[in-house]
Amino acid sequence: MLEQLLIFTRGGLILWTCKEIGNALKGSPIDTLIRSCLLEERSGEVSFNYGAYTLKWTFHNDLGLVFVAVYQKILQLLYVDDLLSIVKQSFSEMYDPKRMRYDDFDETFRQLRVEAEARAEEMKRTKQVAKPLNGVKKQGQVSKEETKKSNGEKKDDGDKVSVLSNGNHKMEDDVANGKENSADNNNNSVGVDVSKLAKLRSKGVRGRGGLRKADSLGSNKGSSKVVEPPKKATKKNRVWDDAAAAPKQEEEKLDFTDENGDNGHVDVVAAADQGESMMDKEEVFSSDSESEDDEPRSDEKPEAKKKGWFSSVFQSITGKANLERTDLEPALKALKERLMTKNVAEEIAEKLCESVEASLEGKKLASFTRISSTVQGAMEEALIRILTPRRSIDIMRDVHAAKEQRRPYVVVFVGVNGVGKSTNLAKVAYWLQQHKVSVMMAACDTFRSGAVEQLRTHARRLQIPIFEKGYEKDPAVVAKEAIQEATRNGSDVVLVDTAGRMQDNEPLMRALSKLINLNKPDLVLFVGEALVGNDAVDQLSKFNQKLSDLSTSGNTRLIDGILLTKFDTIDDKVGAALSMVYISGAPVMFVGCGQSYTDLKKLNVKAIVKTLLK
Amino acid sequence: MENLEGLKLMAEQWSNQGIEYLQKIPPFQLYAAIGLLLLTTVLLLSFRLVRRTKSNTVLLSGLSGSGKTVLFYQLRDGSSHQGSVTSMEPNEGTFVFHSEHAKKGKIKHVHLVDVPGHSRLRPKLEEFLPQAAAIVFVVDALEFLPNCRAASEYLYDILTNANVVKKKIPVLLCCNKTDKLTAHTKEFIKKQMEKEIEKLRASRSAVSTADIANDYTIGIQGEVFSFSHCCNRVTVAEASGLIGETVQVQDFIREYI
Repeated sequence: MLEQLLIFTRGGLILWTCKEIGNALKGSPIDTLIRSCLLEERSGEVSFNYGAYTLKWTFHNDLGLVFVAVYQKILQLLYVDDLLSIVKQSFSEMYDPKRMRYDDFDETFRQLRVEAEARAEEMKRTKQVAKPLNGVKKQGQVSKEETKKSNGEKKDDGDKVSVLSNGNHKMEDDVANGKENSADNNNNSVGVDVSKLAKLRSKGVRGRGGLRKADSLGSNKGSSKVVEPPKKATKKNRVWDDAAAAPKQEEEKLDFTDENGDNGHVDVVAAADQGESMMDKEEVFSSDSESEDDEPRSDEKPEAKKKGWFSSVFQSITGKANLERTDLEPALKALKERLMTKNVAEEIAEKLCESVEASLEGKKLASFTRISSTVQGAMEEALIRILTPRRSIDIMRDVHAAKEQRRPYVVVFVGVNGVGKSTNLAKVAYWLQQHKVSVMMAACDTFRSGAVEQLRTHARRLQIPIFEKGYEKDPAVVAKEAIQEATRNGSDVVLVDTAGRMQDNEPLMRALSKLINLNKPDLVLFVGEALVGNDAVDQLSKFNQKLSDLSTSGNTRLIDGILLTKFDTIDDKVGAALSMVYISGAPVMFVGCGQSYTDLKKLNVKAIVKTLLK
Repeated sequence: MENLEGLKLMAEQWSNQGIEYLQKIPPFQLYAAIGLLLLTTVLLLSFRLVRRTKSNTVLLSGLSGSGKTVLFYQLRDGSSHQGSVTSMEPNEGTFVFHSEHAKKGKIKHVHLVDVPGHSRLRPKLEEFLPQAAAIVFVVDALEFLPNCRAASEYLYDILTNANVVKKKIPVLLCCNKTDKLTAHTKEFIKKQMEKEIEKLRASRSAVSTADIANDYTIGIQGEVFSFSHCCNRVTVAEASGLIGETVQVQDFIREYI
């Protein structure tokens, strides 16, 4: 049974709700739908789950209306899509921008609902009866048709007449089968279920996660023996799997750090003052006139038929055409190709194009505009919306707030191997120092050779204290002690460096979530390089997944922000920023654009969007 | 002597010739030329006057969920109809207030724009700021404390915007949802906002004279921030969108339009 059906404008005014089923909805599903789905450019998806409800929606882009149906998740209502499209049609006929109340629509809606339910019943019945007669193949066909957005098929009537006369058997099996099929079809077949991330945020430990935790605890004991080497004088080779360990005789003391300072010259470079960090400089970007060149457009469709071109020009002048999916497809395909050449992950480009298509379908073309320019405009708006941060990225404000509460502000840098965590940690420390904030570094990368020395060198150059415990220590414990030390000596910020780890590496991800759970940092910063391609999607989603699965307390900490590194190496292939922001919902807080301390800047949303669509 | 007389004769001849020439021009050409001159000067003056006429745009801004859309429809239609959801697009309208329909005489229309408050749609505000004559910043008086920081950051961004500072656009801090019992008073909200903005001021203008995040700084150095320090007028009012208590907002808007 439908819980609710709403019609509202894009400006937010509710025009009509179904009064027959006046159940109050638990929570605020509509607002959540708008905030986490429609405004996040996921409007191309099929449905949205919130609590016990499933929501489906459709747009009327020309009039600026949104139609949303809410029903219980456990019921697989098959007529909802059908009902939504019919409601859309009949409501748009009676819609008037001046009218605010549409009580006469109640009657129409009741009829439409009865009809839609009846149609769904018929289809179910024909499917059930068709099964014993026509075999499995037909059933698969019929159920596929059911789940598509289709109005009543004419040919079913013919079947129904002949089939009903035979009676029907095995109704329960078929009903179950039908429900199963539709459930399968409803799930996204895309590898990454983006909508699940919304769930990750709002809920704590799931049953699934609990199970996994039980497994992981068992295997943790097994692997910890391998991970933590015995406290002997010699360092054992760290093995992560069952590969044969290297012969022990060759292992000598690999840790060459001298207890009393470094070998060689100690260049105390007095607080490396290299000038202002680029975070504080005004971004001077050339604002060339937004001229829409005709030449690049014509390259897109070299094989356009003469007749097609002429009619499109005619339509662009008169501007009366309603945009159809077929019109939008070539423009969207070209746009998707262009985004992919700019290093946007393929799935993300696909989802974005679907979302833009959903928002443009049925809209009237303004006069003197081409379809391609309308699509471009819509895509530009969508990109700006995605890249605009959802919450404030004012770190200084957060630091001051933590200072008032007399506790240090803890930032943890996580990421895969070799993206530039340590380097960018030093850059962030430099920037904070310039703003008169006292910083402390914590060397929790106890695995990689030279990691602690690297941080020590940075600390010496910047003249900030560093907390280190050497190698082969538990990073979570080191971090905890570092935070205690910072509270004792009054540092404002603690920057925690962790070891790089691949997102698939189970024991390492477990160690990371242990660190985060134990220390409850204020900011979990994912460091990602701008050179990454499709792997960005996988990295971020797996990191988030593991963090949520393995979290112990009630509120799950996910990735709060992204630090994009090696930005100077990509000329205009800036798509990684878009993929990362889309998949995680976290804003880009810093951009690393070089290898010296001053090369840290903020993300300039408009410049990125311009580069992406150039 | 003869030279002088000769010169006088020549001058007289020339002046006679000039007068004859002038008289030869048909009169309406002369009048047409003079008329054109007068017309162009009048047009230039009127253009200057037209540019000076003030715009009648008022922006309704504030965090998502503070009640802007409800307030918009209250001002326009006198009722909030069937409620609202999170806006995805701005609501615009040029109209006379619903309560002023009964008044006689020529009332100037107000171009009211309800800008969505969701943070992803923040750039929309920048589009409308250049043409704004007044800004109403709506704050949820019921759920004030959890959103205090976000609201103060938004207000700070508006108050330090270049357009607002240069044109001294007046701002009304409107505390909405005051019909509820547990809603905070406007004095409390004003004090809290001033405190939060003071903290923001300290953190954002910590280093350089060129404040990169915002166009300008507000307030006086060395003193705790107060709304009276702003160069544009900032006033506080109470309202309730749900029951239609919008008289203070209307008065504010009518002061400037």
